[in-house]
Amino acid sequence: MLKLTDITLKLDGNLILDNISLNIQPGSIWGIIGPPASGKSVLVKTICGFFKPQRGSILFNDTDICKIPEAKMLEIRKQIGMLFQNNALFDFMNVWENVAFPLRRSNPEIDPGQLRQKAWKRLKKVGLAGSENKLCSELSGGMQKRVGIARATINKAPLNIYDEPTAGLDPVTTSKIYDLLLEIKRQNSSTVLAISSDVEGLRDFVDNIIVLYEGKVRYSGPEKDLESSTDPVVHQFVRGEEEGPL
Amino acid sequence: MISSFFASVGEKILNFSKIIGGIVYLFYQIILALLPPKFDLDEFWRNLYKMGVKSVPIIILTAFFTGGIMVIQASVFVKKFGATSLVGWGAGYSVFREVGPILLGLMFSGRVGSNNTAELGTMVVTEQIDGLKALAIDPFRYLIVPRVLAMIIMLFLLTIIGNVVAISGAALFGKYIAGVSYAGFWTSFSQNLYLGDLIHGLIKAAIFGFIVSLNSCYFGISVKGGAVGVGKAVNNSVVASALGIVIFDYILTYNIT
Repeated sequence: MLKLTDITLKLDGNLILDNISLNIQPGSIWGIIGPPASGKSVLVKTICGFFKPQRGSILFNDTDICKIPEAKMLEIRKQIGMLFQNNALFDFMNVWENVAFPLRRSNPEIDPGQLRQKAWKRLKKVGLAGSENKLCSELSGGMQKRVGIARATINKAPLNIYDEPTAGLDPVTTSKIYDLLLEIKRQNSSTVLAISSDVEGLRDFVDNIIVLYEGKVRYSGPEKDLESSTDPVVHQFVRGEEEGPL
Repeated sequence: MISSFFASVGEKILNFSKIIGGIVYLFYQIILALLPPKFDLDEFWRNLYKMGVKSVPIIILTAFFTGGIMVIQASVFVKKFGATSLVGWGAGYSVFREVGPILLGLMFSGRVGSNNTAELGTMVVTEQIDGLKALAIDPFRYLIVPRVLAMIIMLFLLTIIGNVVAISGAALFGKYIAGVSYAGFWTSFSQNLYLGDLIHGLIKAAIFGFIVSLNSCYFGISVKGGAVGVGKAVNNSVVASALGIVIFDYILTYNIT
């Protein structure tokens, strides 16, 4: 599905991603964790083609997205549903329009009634039925997050990327969000890549995990083997210890 | 001391070159996007309404009093020299060729250009532009091209409305302040002005619309940082548009006349 080989990215002269290689199989759920400014968001944005790495390749279903022009990258992005860290909801649209927008754009001929029904169903799925006509700025953080999830998943893309899907949410809402993501994943049979600072919550959700530190992959493998990593950075970060290299 | 002075001058020249280069590159991309024209029609209509229709009241108010002010200023000499037969021509000539396009262009830049920069800048800092890209939408064709076209068309049309209102204002103020009858005003206006005078101003209006749109879009999409960056971008956009309008007015007046 997705294969990264030796990805190296510098922004404004700073090394952000250092020789990253990953192989993500279709249908798997991967989590990305790491201390702040370790390159997690930049990594997923690079996968989405927002940054062009100076070295390496990213094969998305056998297409090297590092070598294709922006016009072709737009076509690749139709196969990716992305939730941004701050949701990136369109503030000139209401909740319903935000959710229906990707569907309308990807299928301009869609019947308005069908569009309305699909968007409403998705909003109901994320527990936002009744909030269709509200502006996103009128919603709470958790509700905005759910609008972002609805928008990212309405097109049933084969790859879903969630950047901090539970940031700033209380434990109950966090748990509900992970259940929702899991349900959507099962329904769409999609591959999932999720970043979170909530290590415990994320570990319950994913099959595999990547630990990033200073742009380098310090661990990449099954979630259940994470504890047994001998890397001191991984060890300290996962256990939340004060003593160590971090 | 000297080296820091030259470093500072060099940095300013580099920044200025970067802005000019960025605006020229934006212009090039707009031309590419229009050959053949592929842009979002819904967004285009939305912007025509937002930028044009909603600007009509402020344009009418500005134009009406602008026409009046010109007559008030001229009334002293009109009364002194009895030059009532020149009021219609004077008002029409200055409104059509200069005052209309410039004042309305500056007003348009303040109302629409600044809003456009702030809107695009906010979309950049809140990752909404990346959000569009993530949904496989080309933000250039979706956001920039419709806005540029809407601004050119709307400043052109608003200038026509502004001209009519300014002349009406001038006629009204001319009657009650300078004592020029409507018939006298109209005779002076219609006998001494040519279609070329109107077209001269409308060409300027379309070009000013393009200048405001280029500046406002460029500074909007180049925003760096948060709210402070958006504030700076709006400031730069309004200043650059005002400068661009005045400089191009000089160039156009010199060449067309």
